[in-house]
Amino acid sequence: MSFRKRNIGLSPGVDRNAVPNTAQPAPEGTPGIRPSPDDGRPTTSTGTRSLDNLLAGHAGLPMGKLLFIEENGTTDFAGALLRYYAAEGVIQDQKIHVVGVPEQWGRTLPGLIGSAESLDEKRSDRRKDDRMKIAWRYERLGEFGAVAGSRDAPSTPGEQDSTAKEAPAFCHAFDLTKRLTHPSITNMSFIPLMPSKESPFAAILKRLQTAITSSPANTIHRIVVPSLLNPTMYPPGSCQPENVLQFLHALKALMSAHATRVTAMITFPLSLFPRSSGLVRWIELLSDGVIELCPFPHSADATATSGAATSQEEPPQGMLKTHRLPVLHERGGGSYQNVGQDWAFILSRRRFEIKPFSLPPAEGDTEAQDTAAAGGMPKKSDLEF
Amino acid sequence: MPSQPPLPPLLAPYVSTLPDASLTLVSSILGATSNWLVLRFLHAALSSQSASTFGADDLQNGIKKKVVLVSFMRSYEFWKTEAKRLGLDLTRLAEKHQFAFIDGMSELFYAQSPAPTSSPGMGSSPRTTLPMRGPPGAVPGRAPQPTAPVGTMGNPAAKQEPGIAKKLHFSGRGLASLDAMEKDIALVIEQQKTQMEEGDELVLIIDQPDLLLATTGPSMGIGATEMSEWITGLQQLAHATIVTLATDTPLIHNASGLGGQLATPIETEHAAFAIGLAHRARSVMQLRTLETGAAKDVSGVLRISRGGGLGTGEDNLEEREALYFIQRDGGVTVFGRGES
Repeated sequence: MSFRKRNIGLSPGVDRNAVPNTAQPAPEGTPGIRPSPDDGRPTTSTGTRSLDNLLAGHAGLPMGKLLFIEENGTTDFAGALLRYYAAEGVIQDQKIHVVGVPEQWGRTLPGLIGSAESLDEKRSDRRKDDRMKIAWRYERLGEFGAVAGSRDAPSTPGEQDSTAKEAPAFCHAFDLTKRLTHPSITNMSFIPLMPSKESPFAAILKRLQTAITSSPANTIHRIVVPSLLNPTMYPPGSCQPENVLQFLHALKALMSAHATRVTAMITFPLSLFPRSSGLVRWIELLSDGVIELCPFPHSADATATSGAATSQEEPPQGMLKTHRLPVLHERGGGSYQNVGQDWAFILSRRRFEIKPFSLPPAEGDTEAQDTAAAGGMPKKSDLEF
Repeated sequence: MPSQPPLPPLLAPYVSTLPDASLTLVSSILGATSNWLVLRFLHAALSSQSASTFGADDLQNGIKKKVVLVSFMRSYEFWKTEAKRLGLDLTRLAEKHQFAFIDGMSELFYAQSPAPTSSPGMGSSPRTTLPMRGPPGAVPGRAPQPTAPVGTMGNPAAKQEPGIAKKLHFSGRGLASLDAMEKDIALVIEQQKTQMEEGDELVLIIDQPDLLLATTGPSMGIGATEMSEWITGLQQLAHATIVTLATDTPLIHNASGLGGQLATPIETEHAAFAIGLAHRARSVMQLRTLETGAAKDVSGVLRISRGGGLGTGEDNLEEREALYFIQRDGGVTVFGRGES
């Protein structure tokens, strides 16, 4: 009696057994963790591929770092980013701690489509026809390098292919119209805000601390704080500097004490607390990464929205500013090619895309251009030298 | 590009000449942090002993320097790894009593339950292709740990991670709590001084004490005056003092109330504290980003100016403004505008 099915060849079976054995003892064997292409520190995905690529060449959020996402206006683009972040954690079997919102929040996580790579491949297939080909073998590298801006990207295409096959996906794609169903979704813990005489944050911190210190050393944690200081959720005293800043400082301390297994993402309503106030600036100073979302005012006429490079592309829904990036600014800033660039973001059903912002050629302004060409510019013969 | 000297020549006179009882103020903003400059101060003070044949220590005249670093915003891990890039082994220097780190971050407000430090396997080593063999020499530092019962509670008094001399705690309110912390820092400084010989200098670096002010504030009995006095008290214990502060626009300019909005206590107190220190300082080193937006080869602008406390006559400080650039490997170049 053979234990192996007859119709399956020998070698693939051996191969399949061998792969996990070699992959497991590697230091970053934990799913969802990979070394940064920049300096090798462990990173995890934010669940949004283009946001990962924005983070100073690390192609992910470095472990132990806190990302602070601010949003102007009444839209909830930051909330979408936060849901992707939480959903990615669920898929990767990480422990999610959600602060201040009821459990319904966890049921609104977007549904899984597949790995982000597979989605990208599909999209690039679609685009392939109208793109000029220069050297197809560098295509994958180009896409990785163009946005990530990393020098030490995986070198050969062959190596990249093999890792893509063996390693579980680092970043996934999600669909906002679907709901996430995953066995480990029940693994999320929700920390409610308790009214108390002391700082409302003390109890939260206590729970985070015990949860993280008591968990086994290979558990990865994600701390999710939606809409920090939002008065509909937080008691009035919480926006006192001594409360919120002490909380963030202690959170930072907690995260640096467990620097290899905790990340956090916080969203923040800028319309209620403007960036020009000292309190917000201190919150920013305490964060490792600060990203500001400035959605464009909504307009019913989609074509009137400026910013689309061509009419085929979706118009951007807002601007994204990076004020501080994890690790890079801690070490002094600069030297990253994408710093200071204008970014635009597009949120569609299936993806949150961040790309360089560019103003389109003025559409509908053709008569002005015509007149400029015809009479506005003096003819060569009119010019006297 | 050839590798840069750890201490840019343009910067060297400013970070290595620190007269007695002088206060140097380093100001930073959100996009231009001061950590790299603090590291340069560390290097200027400590490197001459580790590499005595190096050319850059002509200025030191054989005076030994010791450094006590009080950090409120960064962990020891960060300083250790970044200093290593400059060739400073902080743990070894701490053993030789040349350096002491005071941790003002990890247990400042909430004492943490002692926990086993995170697994050494992760993060520390970059991609190893041979999983069977561990990286040689990476683990010995941790070797004694497994013998101790891992995860047992109730040994807070035990010696913490090597290299950290003291962890600061904030308890109570007002002056009493500041005094307690001052006592803790003074204790470490005294310990360092017992190892000192005649002529040795002790440099005290206080990294972002303004955090203390922001997280407590007048409602807890701590304002700009108390903080300045606290700094003065510590300044008296050291040969030279370096203080880093955040001077973002909202923290300084809102206090004047010109914008039409009422200034909050956090803004007024911060402005008063920062401006007060600038008046007392010998020199102010201001870090900011370029006004014209980010550039690929410039990280920010460094402006060195005389502070209000600069003695007239005998002490001369040349004011200047330069650009700086931090490379991926942590090396820094400082150059004038238009140079490269």
